[in-house]
Amino acid sequence: MKSRIITILLAIGLSVSCLLLAGRMSQLHLPGNQQGYEPVQPIAYSHRLHAGEMQIPCLYCHFAAQTSRHAGVPPASICMNCHRQVTSSLGGMHAEDELAAKEKRKPRQIVSAELEKLYDALALDGNLQPDPRKTPQPIVWNRVHALPSFVYFDHRAHVRVNVACQQCHGPVETMERVRQVSDLSMGWCVNCHRQANQTGIAGARVHASTNCSTCHY
Amino acid sequence: MADIALSPPLVVGHKSLAEVTHDVCRPMERRPGGIWWAAFAVTFSMLLLGVAAITYEIATGIGTWGLNTTVGWAFDITNFVFWIGIGHAGTLISAILFLLRQRWRTGVNRAAEAMTLFAVMCAGIFPLIHMGRPWFGYWIFPYPNFRGSLWINYRSPLAWDAFAISTYFIISATFWYVGLIPDLATIRDRSQPGLRRTIFSIASLGWDGAFKTWNRYEMVYLLLAGLATPLVVSVHTIVSWDFATAVIPGWHATIFPPYFVAGAIFSGMAMVLTLMIIARKAMGLEAYINLRHLDVMSKLVITTGSIVGFSYLTEFFTAQYSGNQYEQFVFLNRALGPFFWAYWTMVSCNVLIPQLLWIRKIRTSWAAVFVISLLVNVGMWFERFVIIVTSLHRDYLPSSWTSYRPTSIEIATLIGTFGLFFTLFLVFCRVLPVIAMAEIKGVLKHGLHRLEAHR
Amino acid sequence: MSDKYWRSLEDWRNVSETGDAEFSETPIDIEAGPDRRGFLKAAGFSFGAAMLAGCGRTVQKIEPNLQQPEGFIPGRPVYYASTCGGCSAGCGTLVKVRDGRPIKLEGNPSHQVSGGGLCAVGQASILGLYDSRRIAHPMVDGKAASWAQADAFVQDRLEQARRAGGAVRLLTGTVHSPTESAWIGHFLGSFRNARHIEYDALSASAILDAHERTHGARILPRYRFDKAGVIVGIDADFLGTWISPVEFAREYAAARDPLGSQYAWHTQVESRMSLTGTKADHRVVLGPADLAGFVSDLHDAVIKGGSNRPEVLQIAQRLRDARGRGLVVCGLQDVAAQALVNGINEALGNYGATIETDRASRQRRGDDRALENLLAELRGGAVDVLIVAGANPAFDLPGGEAVAKAKLLIVHAQRMDETAAKAQAVCAAPDVLESWGDVEPVEGTACIVQPCLQPLFQTRPLVETLAAWSGKPGVALDLIRDQWRQEIFPKAKSNLAFEEFWERSLQDGFAQYTPAARARTAARRESEPEPLQKMDPQDGFHLALYAKPALLEGRHAYNPWLQEVPDPVTKIAWDNYACLAPGAAAKLGVATGDVLGIQCGGQDIELPALVQPGQHENTVAVALGYGSQLSGRFAKVGPQWLEGRPTLNERGLVGVNAAPLLGFDRGSLQYFRSGVKLSKTGTTMALACTQEHQTVSVPERLKPAGAKIRPIIQETTLVQIRESGDRRAKESPRPELWPPDHPYPVHHWAMVVDLNACNGCSACIVACQAENNIPVVGKDEMRRKREMHWMRIDRYYSGALDSPRVAHQPMFCQQCDHAPCETVCPVLATVHSDEGLNQQIYNRCVGTRYCANNCPYKVRRFNWFNYVREDRMANLALNPDVTVRSRGVMEKCTFCVQRIQEAKIESKRLGRPVRDGEIQTACQQTCPAKAIVFGDLDDPHSEVSRLMASGRRYRVLEEINVRPGVGYLKIVRPDAPAGEEKENG
Repeated sequence: MKSRIITILLAIGLSVSCLLLAGRMSQLHLPGNQQGYEPVQPIAYSHRLHAGEMQIPCLYCHFAAQTSRHAGVPPASICMNCHRQVTSSLGGMHAEDELAAKEKRKPRQIVSAELEKLYDALALDGNLQPDPRKTPQPIVWNRVHALPSFVYFDHRAHVRVNVACQQCHGPVETMERVRQVSDLSMGWCVNCHRQANQTGIAGARVHASTNCSTCHY
Repeated sequence: MADIALSPPLVVGHKSLAEVTHDVCRPMERRPGGIWWAAFAVTFSMLLLGVAAITYEIATGIGTWGLNTTVGWAFDITNFVFWIGIGHAGTLISAILFLLRQRWRTGVNRAAEAMTLFAVMCAGIFPLIHMGRPWFGYWIFPYPNFRGSLWINYRSPLAWDAFAISTYFIISATFWYVGLIPDLATIRDRSQPGLRRTIFSIASLGWDGAFKTWNRYEMVYLLLAGLATPLVVSVHTIVSWDFATAVIPGWHATIFPPYFVAGAIFSGMAMVLTLMIIARKAMGLEAYINLRHLDVMSKLVITTGSIVGFSYLTEFFTAQYSGNQYEQFVFLNRALGPFFWAYWTMVSCNVLIPQLLWIRKIRTSWAAVFVISLLVNVGMWFERFVIIVTSLHRDYLPSSWTSYRPTSIEIATLIGTFGLFFTLFLVFCRVLPVIAMAEIKGVLKHGLHRLEAHR
Repeated sequence: MSDKYWRSLEDWRNVSETGDAEFSETPIDIEAGPDRRGFLKAAGFSFGAAMLAGCGRTVQKIEPNLQQPEGFIPGRPVYYASTCGGCSAGCGTLVKVRDGRPIKLEGNPSHQVSGGGLCAVGQASILGLYDSRRIAHPMVDGKAASWAQADAFVQDRLEQARRAGGAVRLLTGTVHSPTESAWIGHFLGSFRNARHIEYDALSASAILDAHERTHGARILPRYRFDKAGVIVGIDADFLGTWISPVEFAREYAAARDPLGSQYAWHTQVESRMSLTGTKADHRVVLGPADLAGFVSDLHDAVIKGGSNRPEVLQIAQRLRDARGRGLVVCGLQDVAAQALVNGINEALGNYGATIETDRASRQRRGDDRALENLLAELRGGAVDVLIVAGANPAFDLPGGEAVAKAKLLIVHAQRMDETAAKAQAVCAAPDVLESWGDVEPVEGTACIVQPCLQPLFQTRPLVETLAAWSGKPGVALDLIRDQWRQEIFPKAKSNLAFEEFWERSLQDGFAQYTPAARARTAARRESEPEPLQKMDPQDGFHLALYAKPALLEGRHAYNPWLQEVPDPVTKIAWDNYACLAPGAAAKLGVATGDVLGIQCGGQDIELPALVQPGQHENTVAVALGYGSQLSGRFAKVGPQWLEGRPTLNERGLVGVNAAPLLGFDRGSLQYFRSGVKLSKTGTTMALACTQEHQTVSVPERLKPAGAKIRPIIQETTLVQIRESGDRRAKESPRPELWPPDHPYPVHHWAMVVDLNACNGCSACIVACQAENNIPVVGKDEMRRKREMHWMRIDRYYSGALDSPRVAHQPMFCQQCDHAPCETVCPVLATVHSDEGLNQQIYNRCVGTRYCANNCPYKVRRFNWFNYVREDRMANLALNPDVTVRSRGVMEKCTFCVQRIQEAKIESKRLGRPVRDGEIQTACQQTCPAKAIVFGDLDDPHSEVSRLMASGRRYRVLEEINVRPGVGYLKIVRPDAPAGEEKENG
């Protein structure tokens, strides 16, 4: 009798812990798999705003993706193409204009906190002129999509055959902060290559090599 | 009645069942003597030396071995094949001889099977540590993965090895353990309540010695024997393919499978002899391991030894007959090249010296057989060394010919495996019955003795 | 990692290193190295644990530029045309700059002198730039100083000398930079008693002196081997080290194209087996004492048509038959002999044809007489100020330590060598890759040296220094541009404006002009020619001091790549040794490795012996350039472990310096010494030789009955080629039961190596090392036959011991179709690609070494240890496109797959197919002789397809049916074949 109770208790305990473990398992990652990695960046740059709302094409900033193996993080000078004029959110500017109109004065330039960091990095003063007292400091971003260094991925080949950026990087245009969507595992790459050879990309036939030396050398 | 007249008894000196049990269990129930401790001290320090060597090698790199660009395997794989070979006698005796109703086996099978396990353990070390990155050793097993399902290379003999050896170990272990069960029960019953008794009662899986139990037990044992039999042939066949499938002259030979299997049994038998001759003296088992065993096993040694010798000749013939100059050169180089000493050690120890066993006087002299068995083991180690190193060190392009000399680390590793082997065996002698009591009782013919008594 | 590019050294330091240390483009950094490697081992063992624990993320940083430089795209290499500073030959280079740092040097194909090739030294010189042990700043009295302080100190002392009219001497190597010579003129002009002395440690002074005598101008003519039909080389190793090897190797190969209009016949007259000698169709082995005699005999035979030596007559006959197409070159440091050689060439009308005096060479300008005088002055303490620039006299000259006797010694050097160590003031010189400069190796071809990154240290080019000291400080770029504007631009008669002309020259790397023609004074026959130098032939051994192609006179002794290149002839690295003829060795009872004592003119050195076939009986040959203080840095090179042995000798150096044995005789530096005594010391020494067995044939004792010579090296004759029209019988495809297991739908990469063109110079080995991040393993590992070079050059002797024929065979992964390595790897770490490549995936390899055992060519290389890359600055030379392999991993040649991938993707981007010749492997690109051709067999018009169809093509070990993807072209022997080749060819 006693032993039977014990058995039952053990059985229950086991099943419960299995369930718990199963729950835990779903978040577990193999070493090196950084899926879902979403580091805080030095400047709270929003892809949603730029790529989403403003509809700036990816290749405008990540121009290197067409011509180099690395898409690259744009140099600050690229940001300045727009942010020489745009120094704050549209809402903020309107507010200031109205306020100025009310106070009968010409609107002051407001600079949003995040852009301040950009201007600091470039050693610019309040009205975006080079400030001799500051020294330029490179902006140190946190790399999100990092492959092991024995893997050689080349953006050129993929951009050329019109693989959508989102296919690997996910809906970046909806992200405030960039997150690694795919697990970037070898299986994930290879499956896509196999599929591409079957179905082609965007209607066009492609040759997506599955040789090892396509990525490893 | 007939067999009384024909064959001498397998156990000499009219032992009663009780005496048998007593004789076999005595060593386990006594405290170990000075000799045992001395032996253990020696073997265990050898083991530690090996552990140190392997640790250093894994921490530093394969470069700590004497290998080079041309000779990529030497001591490591030599030891591997050597130990796997040693293992074979156990399975042969326990499985094949069992099926062939060779009743004399009962005296030696337990020890031989134990030896098999320990040998396979020693062998198993090398496939792992010879890897440049042993921590990725598990890659040679197929398992689901995130690499677009990158499996192993089923064409590679090394992959076959992984399966062959693991299977071999599992089956022999099971076989050995099943054989142990009745004896474990006997020990359980002899021992006072306490830890020892608990352990053995768990280990003996509630053996009750009932007729039904015996019946099922024999059935299982028979089936396992059937399962194990093909392994005797398969394992070393697969090991031989490590070489036979290569393009290197001296390796690329169709004779390898039978040649290796015979060699394995040859060396295994020799090792059994070595061990049993020591054991019977050290543990006072003269009655159970006697001249009859010596005689039979010596005959097995001659047979397999001659097969091996014949294979050596065949290799030369094939090389000559093939008209392939690379092939021909390798064998000339073996016999007359820089490693000629290794070759001739091999030939004399494996082919010439065993021929002495044709002489009955020698065959039945414990000392002589002991010496010969030792020499055979040496010879068989050198056979593997010769096959591996002399074939590799001078192959196709003379520009890449090199030589090979082992480093202290390699030698220490070899010593270490012997340390492991003998340490385990010593422990085994202490904690488990060296002779299968249950089985040997079956060949006592004590019924016969009683009959004599009535006269 | 390669997302992180840096602009200056400081910036580079900031770039944090991340990524797993198992494989990383940027290697394990040592600060964190051990722990990280330790962690990885642990991680390996406790894999399961790590899995449950979830993995700690490695945070990587990216630092983009603030302002992107024009035309700069991260991850995209840019090539700059420049000029090599490895020696004074002045070969054109293309510097590959990736993310702001030079990572590889390639030959400049359009360059007038080198024509696309680059030698081992040039390839390795990239390490010179990233040498962290360079002199980082000026020094005064051994203490660090600023340039201002150094200048102040020096100018003050110079001022004194100027006023006192003290003796100021400037000692340099060959100065072939127009701007430098100009400024040296300015600078020295301001002193009353100043002189500029140029010298070459490997001197050709006698040739210049002889031309002064016979042609009225002290010039070194430019030899045109490509125009020659008969080449007579007398002790001139022109393929190895003599004047301009890359240039000569290219021309030599061109002159010996078996399908060309004429096939140059080459005879080499020498005392030791030189690299050039290995290629000769005919060798005359003479003792140093008889070489000059041979010249005069040949002179008589050519002029008078008489000689008592039949072989001399024969050679003379061949020369006379090839009037105006012959070329006699002589390396003897004997003005009289050289004058005779000029006489011969003049008589045969070779001047103006195969020898150019109008476009004379400026690659060797040294004047030994002036040098000898200077040394005398120095010993006499008559020199007040001695400035040494770009030279190391204290090391490479006999009695060179006399430089310390100058009242003030100023040294302009890159490294703290023997001379700089003695100097009161040391000016830190920049590397050629970080400074502006110009070079005129051949009159009429002015080359530009342009910097490819900001100077890593506080260095200053010589011209700037001289300008500063002349009181007209300026920036090198401006000084050079001014010089070009005034001197070169007018001569070039270009119809461009100077700016465009400059830009064009900058882009090409050089500019050309027609120099003023020299009044060709025909060779004056001297009334009574000066007697030839006499060497007493009886007196013991003769010593022949020579240079190895990689190490030259020793200026590159700091360079691990060059130290590790096996000598092309002896196959020994990391040492110099005393080469002895087999006969002589037998007489002395010494074998290779026995240490010999060598006494010569009061000097006494000890070196291990080496038995060298093809060497003259009583000649002992010793290489210069060893035992340099610069080699002291290799104490920790290679793995350090229980049984590991040091790379350095007991003196803490690599090899022994033989320069003290040099001597002067009648105004020229002598490389031959007589009256040499050899003695056995009884000790032995292990030499790091990469090839134990020297011939294709197996030892007689082990030779199977009736076995032929292994057909590894195959030879043919001109006659056979002409007969066959160099076509090969169409091979019928072998009958196959199964469909081909490797169809090659898109590309089928393959390679052909012309064994007749290859001269074994080993440039390819270093190029491969630079391209593929191949580690340096040190002497002990080399000795254990564990060299890591993916490419080796097998050298086989055949024929008689005293006059062997030599074959060089580059050997690397043959990319077999039926690759034995592929079937045996348990984890699929080496598999076949559908482009014919035998791929090696390092990160999958577990290191069973079965593939290497099963490779018939033994071309796979195993990482026996973690070859730690201590020097983080040297690591900047690593190629970011190739994985750095960790220990326990197999590696091998993959036809530079990273280059193939780059070209394929780039052509895909441009929407066009890959062009033939667009992909060049590193070895092919650098080969001076153009012996290697790589391409696509699927393209029937590709060069490689054409060569595969050649009648000379064969495959090594074809008979074992592994289907190698590399073809070799047979060696051409002009003379009738002996039985041997009949079997082979």
